[in-house]
Amino acid sequence: MAVESPTKPTIADKIYDKMFHNYVWKSIFRTGYPNTPRNQMLVVATNVFLHLHPTRIHRTHVKITHTYCLGGLSFFMFLGLTVTGILLMFYYVPSVERAYLDIQNITTTVQFGQLMRNMHRWMAHAMVILVFMHMMRVFYTGAYKPPREFNWVVGVILLVLTFLLSFTGYLLPWDQLAFWAITVGTNIAGSAPVLGPKTRFWLLGGFEVGPDSLIRFYTLHVIGLPLLAAIFMAVHFWRIRRDGGLARPL
Amino acid sequence: MATAVVARPVARPQARARDEEVLVWPDLVFIEFIAALVFTITLFFLSVVVNAPLLDQANADVTPNPSKAPWYLLNLQELLLHMNAAMAGIIIPTVWLIIMGAFPYFDRDTEGQGAWFNTEGAVKITIVAGAIGFFGTWLLILWDSGKIAFFLNDWFGITGGDTFRFLENVRSMQSQLPWPEWSKSITYLPFNLRLLDGTGSGGPTTFQHLDFPGWLVEQAIPIAVLVGLPTLMIYGMWRAGWVMNRRDALLALFSGFVAAYGVLTLTGTAFRGQGQELVFPWELKVSEGIPGQEPGH
Repeated sequence: MAVESPTKPTIADKIYDKMFHNYVWKSIFRTGYPNTPRNQMLVVATNVFLHLHPTRIHRTHVKITHTYCLGGLSFFMFLGLTVTGILLMFYYVPSVERAYLDIQNITTTVQFGQLMRNMHRWMAHAMVILVFMHMMRVFYTGAYKPPREFNWVVGVILLVLTFLLSFTGYLLPWDQLAFWAITVGTNIAGSAPVLGPKTRFWLLGGFEVGPDSLIRFYTLHVIGLPLLAAIFMAVHFWRIRRDGGLARPL
Repeated sequence: MATAVVARPVARPQARARDEEVLVWPDLVFIEFIAALVFTITLFFLSVVVNAPLLDQANADVTPNPSKAPWYLLNLQELLLHMNAAMAGIIIPTVWLIIMGAFPYFDRDTEGQGAWFNTEGAVKITIVAGAIGFFGTWLLILWDSGKIAFFLNDWFGITGGDTFRFLENVRSMQSQLPWPEWSKSITYLPFNLRLLDGTGSGGPTTFQHLDFPGWLVEQAIPIAVLVGLPTLMIYGMWRAGWVMNRRDALLALFSGFVAAYGVLTLTGTAFRGQGQELVFPWELKVSEGIPGQEPGH
């Protein structure tokens, strides 16, 4: 019977050991790589970033064609928009005198400024498209059916919030595209019966797009609507778990 | 005799099939990581290659022609061209969002969830309803822009003369028919209820003096079309034996919506030129509205 004799640790083994088994590393990551089923479940349940997941899911749900990751990617876009948005906030002042110049500065003199602005804009478009596609996926797989009725409603609210987030961001560059798109958009809002003109006035802080509109859209865009969206997203994700995970055939 | 009221229980989460389950780490976390990575890289390269647009500084005195809302609102801007502003801009989208939110309360059957197109006729219904929504919306847009009458005349020499001019588009019914004077101001409320006539919204009616031809083309016909055509489609599919339950009806409705929504967005984005005229995308020019630089017509 062949007995494996212990081999001498190679230089690679030693480096690996020094890197991942030292005192500081272990203070950050409480366990090593989870390589047993028990530890793999524990790492999902006890990690602050992963604990949104259940520890185990039905095998049909990891099939990419079941969800195309659309909901997760919408959330990922939200995270990416938060990161790039914060970076843009360092350079942007929402006043009529400075807004346009600040955007010009971001695109010309700020290191990676143009890249951050591009990322922010394309991610915003991607998020609108992904959220809509996510809704289509949920509909065509019949995943809105009981017991997930309320989560579908939360999803419709999140769709509206996504549109509003994108719409409020549209004004901020204060260029001709922004100004007239918001003029047209708020005119649509203003046509509502009874409440329309008041809503429009409240949104713009006046009868036409001006300095007050800029600060209102900015505040809604960077704090008001993201907070609201975050609350609804928390409910949305929580309800997925409470309603029994992703829908699957009975 | 007292009848016991039995509350219909709300559906509970399904029992788990534990032997069919896989571990989230690594199976799902890995997929999420790859998906996030693919999107980060794709968007990164897109951002390197394509710059976000930045035009001249905002100027309230210089109006670009056409002025357009952000692309995801252009479906509403397209609707605005065909009907009353309050209806197109607010009432229809709000009502539709409420209808959509109410889907699961209408279709309460728990059968057939968790798999793509999971009723017998689902694929057929989706494709046909999508096609109806797609071509139907295009036809309606073409008709209301007067293009169908134009093509009939231009290509086939068919013309209705003055007799049929009122069929050219929806608003010609208001302008080309000999409406009697009294029909343009029908008093039907003794007091002035200003509901659809908020300042600036410019609705064609007041609840005191109804402009009947205006009301007909701005509100009645559009509502009849928007409610009637989907109803007719679902009814037809039901009679044909395709639509067999509420799920099927919703499949037809939603697929028609997605197609119509797509066509409206696309038309508003790529087919509307100066003065919101219907043009081909390659003819689409934007006038920056700077005095002295107007392109000649």
